[in-house]
Amino acid sequence: MKILHLYYDIMNLYGDYGNVSVLERIITQSKTDCEVVKKSLGDSVDFNDYGFVFIGSGTEKNQKLVLGDFKRLSDGFKEYVEADKPALLTGNSFEMLGKSITDCDGGEHSGLGMFDFTVTEQNKTRMTADAIFTCDFLDRPLVGFVNKCSQIDGITDHAFTVRRGLADNDSCKTEGLKYKNLIGTHLTGPVVVKNPHFAEYLAKQLIGEDINSECLELAKKGYEVTLAELSKDN
Amino acid sequence: MKVFFTVLICKLLRFVGRLIGKGSSFPGQIALKICPDILSRVKLPEFIIAVTGSNGKTSTVEMIAHILMKNGKTVSWNREGSNQIEGVTTLVLSSSTLSGKVKSDILLIESDERFARYTFKYIKPTHYVITNLYRDQLTRNGHPEWVYDAIADSIYDGTQLILNADDPLVSRFGIGRDNVVWFGADKLSTDTENLVSAYNDGAYCPVCKAPMTYSTYHYNHIGHFKCTKCGYKRSDTAYTITAVDLDKGVMEIDGKYQISLALKSLYNIYNILSAYTVARIVGIDGAEIARDMGDYVLKNGRVITFELGNRTGTLLTSKHENSISYDQSLRVASAYKDGCDVLIIVDAVSRKYFTSDVSWLWDIDFDMLNSPNVGEIVLAGKYVNDLGMRFSFTGIPSDKIKLFEDIPEAVDYLDNGSGRYIYAITCFSDKGKFLAKVKGE
Repeated sequence: MKILHLYYDIMNLYGDYGNVSVLERIITQSKTDCEVVKKSLGDSVDFNDYGFVFIGSGTEKNQKLVLGDFKRLSDGFKEYVEADKPALLTGNSFEMLGKSITDCDGGEHSGLGMFDFTVTEQNKTRMTADAIFTCDFLDRPLVGFVNKCSQIDGITDHAFTVRRGLADNDSCKTEGLKYKNLIGTHLTGPVVVKNPHFAEYLAKQLIGEDINSECLELAKKGYEVTLAELSKDN
Repeated sequence: MKVFFTVLICKLLRFVGRLIGKGSSFPGQIALKICPDILSRVKLPEFIIAVTGSNGKTSTVEMIAHILMKNGKTVSWNREGSNQIEGVTTLVLSSSTLSGKVKSDILLIESDERFARYTFKYIKPTHYVITNLYRDQLTRNGHPEWVYDAIADSIYDGTQLILNADDPLVSRFGIGRDNVVWFGADKLSTDTENLVSAYNDGAYCPVCKAPMTYSTYHYNHIGHFKCTKCGYKRSDTAYTITAVDLDKGVMEIDGKYQISLALKSLYNIYNILSAYTVARIVGIDGAEIARDMGDYVLKNGRVITFELGNRTGTLLTSKHENSISYDQSLRVASAYKDGCDVLIIVDAVSRKYFTSDVSWLWDIDFDMLNSPNVGEIVLAGKYVNDLGMRFSFTGIPSDKIKLFEDIPEAVDYLDNGSGRYIYAITCFSDKGKFLAKVKGE
């Protein structure tokens, strides 16, 4: 089993690498050999080699740079997603999959065009918040942190409902994208570590039903603490 | 008349505020309500020195103030660290005559890196020190490039920039400006050839985004960098750390001035150097600065030592949500040749605002503690599970690590008579909970 950590050295703002590290551990401790392969700008990628693809969050400038490079890999990635294979894109990385990203100076950058949504950035206010998101594919909510400067309009395949935190834009209550087994969310950092049930969900997708999640014991306790904290009125 | 009235109100509020122990932002806030452009109506002194950056602002400003005052200058500075526009307004008006003239020779402003653009719209610094730009409180600040843009908006023509040449993002402020004063470190005995960090913020050129190379790393991505494509590189320095000996706890500036360090760590050497640089620019002799700095460091080293039963230790105050601050502390512990145990506490992520985010733990290079110098590692606080999870991804054997949610229990566990030295690593927000359980200096 190979996990692809794409743009690992430039889309890495909030300890995002923890997500692939924890999946690698669960899978290795279960039954399958697992290796994380790191690739970045200019590297050749054959998505057929991988059972999971992850991209983390980056600065606005780095996202545009990566977008230029990602277009090169666009066909392969689309085929990968259409074949029901799992991928997770956190922070502003999933913004690249839409129709366009308009930057704070009004410049428009065309996206991969896999979906019809559009992204609009501004540079006045950093929008940050602790988050609790619910969804229909996990029995417990996700906890995490959103850190962005953009609004997204036009997502139709929603991943989450916002209980606390920031939605795609000011006038909706939904967040992120789920299409087949692709998940995109503005939750940043090691969201898979913080949400051990999410780690189990992803690991099962990768290797089938029998996973050994003993290594998640501390993460499970940590999750309860964070969920309790975030459920308080603040 | 409006100036007179506004200054008077501000001074009165400040006076009353001091009596009842209120913060220093409120008087400025009211003054700005009465007269929004009050800062542009006061007469400012010849030197307006501003300091900003992610780490070390307060220490740097304190050292600058100390040296300048020792040399007969009168200095107005925001010593309470109220570094947004309201606090700076209080500072300026409290230091003014009722007719609105600042009485000091030098106005010295520690400025919050995100809000400098508002403050300096009215008070244009003559000299502007930018210390560093790190991943710092990203739950508020976004990321270093975001903060870069905010600071860039606060730099006006006619201000002389004083920049850290070893920080690739900070150095970018100097592009296209001809009067920049650069400070930095030569290749030091503590340097490494390869990056020591959980991430690399020097991987790509901040100007053209091509890969960068380093001829030497001082720590993390601070060092002698060079872009492989556009020619952007570290600038030659006017004021320089020429040597450092951490075993002896001494640094050398410009090849001739020795300054002893309160803590045997690289942590403070850039703060000392930037304070030295400012004092030189104001016209103070190098030898004099080195003498004053030596006195200052000995008295105000901010090192807290403690006793726990028959054990002694040092509290290394580190900023939560700031991986470089933590890395510096880990480096000190891992270099302790006589052997030490380490206590790390994460209980409240911030004392100023609400967050439960612990992503920053993954940016800290905890593997530095995988050293023969380090014995037990005790983790404590509300977020102990997250700390434990993070440590499980280091190469440190799990039997060296103990977890306690309860801080007093963790301290009791360490009170075991082993006699080994203890390094306690935690933030301002959590250190009180620890110090309450040990015997302070």
